[in-house]
Amino acid sequence: MEAVSNKVYHDTVVIRLIQFSVIWALLAMLGGVWLAAELIWPGLDFGQYWLSFGRLRPLHTNGVIFGFGVSALMATAFYSVQRTSHVPLFLPRLAWFCCYAWQLVVLLGGLSLLAGYNTSKEYAELEWPFDIAIAIVWVCFGVVFFGTIAMRRIRPIYISNWFYGALIIVIAMLHIVNSLALPVSPTQSYSLFAGAQDAIVQWWYGHNAVGFLLTGGFLGMLYYFLPKHAGRPIWSYRLSVLAFWAFVYSYIWAGPHHLHYNSVPEWVQSLGMVMSVVLLAPSWATMVNGIMTVSTAWEKLRTDPALKFIVLSLAFYGLATFEGPMMSIRSVNVVSHFTDWTIGHVHSGALGWNAMITYGTFYFMAPRLVGGELYSSRLANLHFWLALAGTMLYIVAMWAAGVSQGLLWLSVDDIGELSFDFKDIMASMVPYYLLRLVAGLIFLAGTFLMAYNLYMTVRGRPARRAVPPAVAPAFGVSR
Amino acid sequence: MTNFIFFGDMLVMAFMAVLAVWILSRGKSKTLDEIARIPLEDEEHDG
Repeated sequence: MEAVSNKVYHDTVVIRLIQFSVIWALLAMLGGVWLAAELIWPGLDFGQYWLSFGRLRPLHTNGVIFGFGVSALMATAFYSVQRTSHVPLFLPRLAWFCCYAWQLVVLLGGLSLLAGYNTSKEYAELEWPFDIAIAIVWVCFGVVFFGTIAMRRIRPIYISNWFYGALIIVIAMLHIVNSLALPVSPTQSYSLFAGAQDAIVQWWYGHNAVGFLLTGGFLGMLYYFLPKHAGRPIWSYRLSVLAFWAFVYSYIWAGPHHLHYNSVPEWVQSLGMVMSVVLLAPSWATMVNGIMTVSTAWEKLRTDPALKFIVLSLAFYGLATFEGPMMSIRSVNVVSHFTDWTIGHVHSGALGWNAMITYGTFYFMAPRLVGGELYSSRLANLHFWLALAGTMLYIVAMWAAGVSQGLLWLSVDDIGELSFDFKDIMASMVPYYLLRLVAGLIFLAGTFLMAYNLYMTVRGRPARRAVPPAVAPAFGVSR
Repeated sequence: MTNFIFFGDMLVMAFMAVLAVWILSRGKSKTLDEIARIPLEDEEHDG
């Protein structure tokens, strides 16, 4: 633990969270590559249950979202909320508790998935003891974050904190409601909801976990770190506030688009579709705001690998937030649903948006946190091109596979029978799956380069002592 | 049910329109510009 005065920002916990995040990225992406290989060579499970696709897949998604993603969000939220509030973290020991307790929950939860304990709810697979542990750590995260905001020395609450705040509040609400269950043993429980209601609640949770964690939380990251990188304020602060309210108000309704042509009422499906299309407006408002912010700093892209990652993540954010609303339209969804198109869409967001902006942010933060230089800009540049090549190859392969699957599955002959056998269609996917495996290996290789680069950057160096600046009188809050 | 969805959508539109007008009319540009600069001047180094 750091022994610092009350006025010094608490950055050692930020460094530790970045380290955990990178470790989870490596492990979870390695799991993803293994899964990609299993889809080509099923014998790679070696007859072991714990290596089967059904057990490794939730480990991959939980590792990426909760290990890599949430650790990165905690790190960047702790880093930015101190600076935008001009005070050190509220209850720093609780921040350290969040840091280590979260890693323990993800680690033990992952092992329970490998052992076969699974609620069967996507992105909420962990059984009830872990659900309770997650809720406790999340509330502590909220206490540290909102406590810091409450102690702030400047009156305005900067826009990034609104997004981080929405992340903390909405994810708590979603997680607690969707996890309501009747435990029957320490390793098994039954959901309080049944049938179509269970499906609606699950996808209200599932879609908004994507919305408020993988989108809202990372938008908080964008609104703080993009101006820092570019060295100029966000292009339109007014637009960012408008986009925030439109985002939180629209996203919460969009979940039922996961249940098209299902046993939920048709009007619920239509509502989900309409609100998904409405989401295009706030999403692109943010993208335009981001692009305009760097529009006068293009020259920095030549020399700053971190900024390259951030700008590219914006492009993928725009792509994924256009594709998502289009896929939610029922006549498009009839082709895309249950195909690899969905996998391509998810990874254009996860690799292109979430991972890229996180990598750019880590490259920015690591040298500043220890008061040094990035170990190798050349390695970071190489990482950038590997990440771009891996992401593009991945999503193009999955688009081709998914559209082929959808059209072949829908083909019928003159008497209305299916034209193609499901097994034959899946066998024809192998070339696309090989491309996906290569893409995953390229992306993973880049992540290993980053891990080495960041390790060499912070190795043996303590956190630099950063302090709040003098407060402008117009914004000052007397305490 | 179609009417229900239509009125729901109109309510959402109305809310967003009111919100947009409220945000655009509230706050001086100078103040918002200063708030936008918060991340650019948020730390100094102590040794």
